[in-house]
Amino acid sequence: MKIYGVGAAEGIGIGIAKVVKEQSVEVVKRNISDIEFEVTNFTEILELTKAETEEMSRSLEKNASAKEAEILVGHIMLMSDPMLIDEMVNLIKNEKICAEYAVEEVCNQYAAVFASMDDELMQQRAADMRDIKDRLIKKIMGLESNDLSTLPHGSILVAKDLTPSMTAGLNPENVLGIVTEFGGKTSHSAILARALEIPAVVGLSDLPEDIEDGSEIVLDGESGEVIVLPTESEKSEYTDKKKKYDEAKKLLKKYLTLPSVSKDGKQVEIVGNIGSPDDVKKVIENGGEGIGLFRTEFLFMDRDCMPTEEEQFESYKQVATAMEGKPVIIRTLDIGGDKEIPYMGIAQDENPFLGYRAIRLCLDRKDDIYIPQLRALLRASAFGNIKIMLPLITSMDEIREAKSLIKNIKAELDEKNIAYNKDIEVGIMVETAAASLLADLFAKEVDFFSIGTNDLIQYTMSVDRGNVKVANLYSAFSPAVLRSINRVITEGKKAGIMVGMCGEAAADPLLVPVLLAWGLDEFSMSASSILKSRQIVSLCDSKDLRAKVDKVLEMGCESEIKDYLKKISEELGC
Amino acid sequence: MVSEELKVINPSGLHLRPAGSLCKEALKYDSKINIIFKDATANAKSVLSVLATCVKCGDVITITCEGKDEKEAMEALRNLINSGFGEVK
Repeated sequence: MKIYGVGAAEGIGIGIAKVVKEQSVEVVKRNISDIEFEVTNFTEILELTKAETEEMSRSLEKNASAKEAEILVGHIMLMSDPMLIDEMVNLIKNEKICAEYAVEEVCNQYAAVFASMDDELMQQRAADMRDIKDRLIKKIMGLESNDLSTLPHGSILVAKDLTPSMTAGLNPENVLGIVTEFGGKTSHSAILARALEIPAVVGLSDLPEDIEDGSEIVLDGESGEVIVLPTESEKSEYTDKKKKYDEAKKLLKKYLTLPSVSKDGKQVEIVGNIGSPDDVKKVIENGGEGIGLFRTEFLFMDRDCMPTEEEQFESYKQVATAMEGKPVIIRTLDIGGDKEIPYMGIAQDENPFLGYRAIRLCLDRKDDIYIPQLRALLRASAFGNIKIMLPLITSMDEIREAKSLIKNIKAELDEKNIAYNKDIEVGIMVETAAASLLADLFAKEVDFFSIGTNDLIQYTMSVDRGNVKVANLYSAFSPAVLRSINRVITEGKKAGIMVGMCGEAAADPLLVPVLLAWGLDEFSMSASSILKSRQIVSLCDSKDLRAKVDKVLEMGCESEIKDYLKKISEELGC
Repeated sequence: MVSEELKVINPSGLHLRPAGSLCKEALKYDSKINIIFKDATANAKSVLSVLATCVKCGDVITITCEGKDEKEAMEALRNLINSGFGEVK
């Protein structure tokens, strides 16, 4: 029987279902006579549960991540709340009722209050209250809590949902897969499964109630497919898939420690795109040789006031320090009328992508936005190899104005004796038709180029990539786009500056050989694509490829180019 | 009784962790300490009560302290809130 959910942690799992049933605990309102005993007993159990939670949090921190452990630290805080405890104790005393009923009443009340709030974080608190409630009640009633630490080897864990307290004891050696009824890609169980590298499918709304404990089960944590009681042929298909997946993973691990060098000895940099300091870890784990694009928008979004210079400085410094001297290209704020940031007071643009955004907005809002950001960047440059990148450049004036701002801030820092990198590189995103056409002139003005293909395609092809009716025009293989990219690389190389690329195209397996042969120096992509791209680079002979890939510049059709590059890719054995 | 208006400047507002440190600090004092925000009054010594106020970054709250050590309590809480609970360094 095949069912589909959300692929939450990639990998193939084949094993025996271990169904973890929520023990439905029926709490009966019992009247009690020995109030003093009930209260003392309750207080003791509360302390015991707190101590156990602390133990779990420590074990989780060791086996998974600090973020997971923090959830449990939160539980301890909630269980220590004097108001919560008083309410429970008073209920026992005044109503002369049993402790489990008091716990149920009070926790439900709070869970309901949190659940009704229009705030995602608060709704998580409701889940926390329910988790605490279940644990306390089971303890009071002397019922076993679900202990996942004893699952036998070869288990596929099947559950409604995984609570933080349940997952704390999970042994990744024994659990080969996780299947849950609730949850999405960002839910607790998904995050944990990825941290432990256990293949997982979540959000299986039609998870059959009657999956029997001990039945065979296979799952694909990428596609979200789960098969209960697979047939022999399905089983062998999954065994093959698992073998392939594991081999690919092993192969890629091999490239983790190798440099990004082509067959003919041309060395390039394969680096990561990140959206917040938290993403750095993944880039390092996947062998990234630096950061090619750090989007700074996250610092400004989902909040009610402008981030301070200090706050920005800390984030930039954190990334620079973590990369230990490897290049970190930080793009200054690229925000505009398409994203709503209420506190900035930016009016909705009728045509946001052609309007007031990125460098245009920043140069217009120097005092409150741009100068604090540039100053934070300069100060952070004392802690690593930070480079500043200006987005959406279309004119020489924009470059010169930004550079003169940077010069003034440097003078101010000198005066105050504040450290920064005096030779900090300043480059531009080449993502507009104007920048591509003026690449020869801009190359003399800046220290590096980074081709932003996502916008370059959009602006070159005059196509909104979000509009499905015209989405077929949106392609990095369009002859116009490839000619533009070729031009930017050629002009950059002529002027002797570094040319990188930070759009999706940089990791496209068909385009990597082309870009390499044309002379691209730096490929920036999401962490998960780094090793695959390094493998492709190592299979290419850039000199040998040059004449072959130059042929695409003479081709007029997108489909023709794509077919041609597919053939080259096959010849290379990618 | 002393009372003061303070602006919450840490990015996450009074969510679980900052609310927890606020309560921990409040519990050190004998005074009765309340947080008033919009129409609601919360007991600063209860993390649940503080959470329920749903105070976000940029909101201005009123803190009242009443008791023998009210001045000291107010000073400690003011410092904590103005420091951004360690989220803003």
